[in-house]
Amino acid sequence: MAAAALCWALRAAQQVLPSPCPRQVRGYYVDWRMLRDVKRRKMAFEHADERLRINAIRKNSILPKELQEVADKEIAALPRDSCPVRIRNRCVLTSRPRGVKRRWRLSRIVFRHFADHAQMSGVQRAMW
Amino acid sequence: KDKSAASKDSTPEGAAKRREDGAETPKQQLLDIIGSMKVEVSYRKKLQQLKASENKKQAMNKLEGPDSEGSVPQGITEDTQRGKPLNPELVKAASAVASSLPHNKKQTESELLAQLRRHEETTDKQKKGGTINLRNVISEMAVKRQSPAQRSARISGRISLHLDEDGRRIRPERSSAQSMDSRRSLKVGKRLNIFTKASTEPEHALKTVSSPTIWDLEFAKEVAAVTAQPPRNGFEEMIQWTKEGILWEFPIDNEVGMEDDAEFHEHIFLEKHLEGFPKEGPVRHFMELVICGLSKNPYLSVKQKVEHIEWFQKYFEEKKELLQEI
Repeated sequence: MAAAALCWALRAAQQVLPSPCPRQVRGYYVDWRMLRDVKRRKMAFEHADERLRINAIRKNSILPKELQEVADKEIAALPRDSCPVRIRNRCVLTSRPRGVKRRWRLSRIVFRHFADHAQMSGVQRAMW
Repeated sequence: KDKSAASKDSTPEGAAKRREDGAETPKQQLLDIIGSMKVEVSYRKKLQQLKASENKKQAMNKLEGPDSEGSVPQGITEDTQRGKPLNPELVKAASAVASSLPHNKKQTESELLAQLRRHEETTDKQKKGGTINLRNVISEMAVKRQSPAQRSARISGRISLHLDEDGRRIRPERSSAQSMDSRRSLKVGKRLNIFTKASTEPEHALKTVSSPTIWDLEFAKEVAAVTAQPPRNGFEEMIQWTKEGILWEFPIDNEVGMEDDAEFHEHIFLEKHLEGFPKEGPVRHFMELVICGLSKNPYLSVKQKVEHIEWFQKYFEEKKELLQEI
């Protein structure tokens, strides 16, 4: 029983006091625009189900039109940041909004930098 | 050669007779013979039995055995001419196998017997080389004696904290060999009764109630701080990350978070959730389409699908007055 109590205490301690070994922790986003994008993504995730259901009522030929108009108003009343259209796929490292490859989530400049230093697995300079 | 011709005639006749009997096909006979043959462990007994049975068999031959074994005495006489006695049961089995096969029966039988003979020769050679009696070998091995000073040094070496990558204690490999030798010396002797068995039951009952005190927490923190050494290499770093949950576990399990215990029928047959809706009308039609779509969706869990349907139910109940106006 003493062992179990100690285990519990250990686990609590680990949550309270992070292990002291040095590790790089990213506490800040690159810029405010990236932060706003992150907030939009979170909101879109929260409201995704609701939007899906209300849209299912709207884009419908079976239900009466009055119901669909009510649904239109409802979806417009949702917070503006909850729609997925407002999300921009920015570069993860530099927050560049353009020239971002989706597979790596990196902008073209960063991608080139890492690929040339052989830090991208399976990426090679094209030559044919 | 006359004998062989005679036996050749006899064997198909015998086989035909056997088939006519209907009670036992040659296959059945073969199976019976093989089933009755036991696996014998020591070959010496087998040889003795063999010699004894062979004498009996030769005696029987003089009395003229049954028809089906017409080829067998001939086979045995052939073998005895070679100077190596074969097990009569094996010979019987070989003859039965040969008779069951469709090709030239005499040839197959002779081939099988030759194979048997070869087997016996190899085993005899091995036996003549020398009996490998395990007991003798082990008794000859002597137990290595160690000096008590050396032994104590090794024991102390064992107790030291050798932390492995995982933080577990790992003894050096050589300690296992030492323990084998010194096992006898460890367990031999009077018990000192220094360490009594922990009678922990009443203590357990007491300690469950009290929560860990601040001192316990501090101690735990101290222990965690001391034992959590920084990772020595990339592997240890990755191990730590996996424990924390930053890194996935390899080989990647695609269904890590999902524990869908529901059967397929719970995914597909969703009509039972439609009980709250009116039976006719556009709402029902709409909900049936919704259910059709959900049943085809492999990515949602049953819980999520049910949540969708319940949301729609709530929504349409709120809009009931509106619906009635229409």
